[in-house]
Amino acid sequence: MKIIPVVVTASCLFLAGCAFDVIRVKQEPAVLDTTQACDDAFVLSETIKVAPMGGYERELQSATHWRCVGKIAQGGVFRTRDQILTAEASNIYEADLVVSGNHIVGFFLPVESTFSPLKKPHALIVR
Amino acid sequence: MKRIAVLVVVLLSGYLAGCASGPKYSEISSTISTLAPDKGRVYIYRKTIAGAAVQPAVRVDNEVVGKAVPKGFFYVDRVPGNLKIETSTEVDRALSMTLEAGETRYVRLNIGIGFFVGHVYPELVDEVTGKKEIQSCSYTGS
Repeated sequence: MKIIPVVVTASCLFLAGCAFDVIRVKQEPAVLDTTQACDDAFVLSETIKVAPMGGYERELQSATHWRCVGKIAQGGVFRTRDQILTAEASNIYEADLVVSGNHIVGFFLPVESTFSPLKKPHALIVR
Repeated sequence: MKRIAVLVVVLLSGYLAGCASGPKYSEISSTISTLAPDKGRVYIYRKTIAGAAVQPAVRVDNEVVGKAVPKGFFYVDRVPGNLKIETSTEVDRALSMTLEAGETRYVRLNIGIGFFVGHVYPELVDEVTGKKEIQSCSYTGS
């Protein structure tokens, strides 16, 4: 029975040694090209919930205006001043939306210069 | 019963002693220096007293600029570009964000559950929320 405190202590030490940074938003390198013309701006007609792979769900609010700021290989990059958009797991990254065709496919993280795909692309519902 | 009351008062006093005690934002906002046109400003604040014992240093681009004092705020002016705001308790928590010239942004320091101690993590909030929440916070200097 003396083994139980030993196991508990060992487990605590083991976990204490672990970084809590175990949840990471999936990212892949992306280069923002601001020289190419991109699609028009849009206004979301309803609130949409999206989640980057490895990250928490985010709400894109209805009536927010998004303007194209450039392109990456995965699609057009859209930014808004109407709400804060971040990709969040253990750390938080300011983010833009990436749209391809009529779907939101991921986030562009401007500080990291990376693309973070959504768990599931979401249809773009615009006015 | 009396002992419990004394204990509660002592604990509460100790808890509140960890809070910021400087002038409130609402009292000094008009005296805060004007932002230089070639710089951006970031207000960093912690609005709750939850986890008051945990007050890690706050770093902007690896430079310690202040402390996460409950009910406290401070600000930093930086050249436009990318910023990384970090706190460390038993783990590091970071926020990466952009800052434009003439722009003012707000970062709230939240407390989350940790294994041994709470985690303080920086979150970018919108201007309306930031301006509202910072009003009751006290200036801690930077």
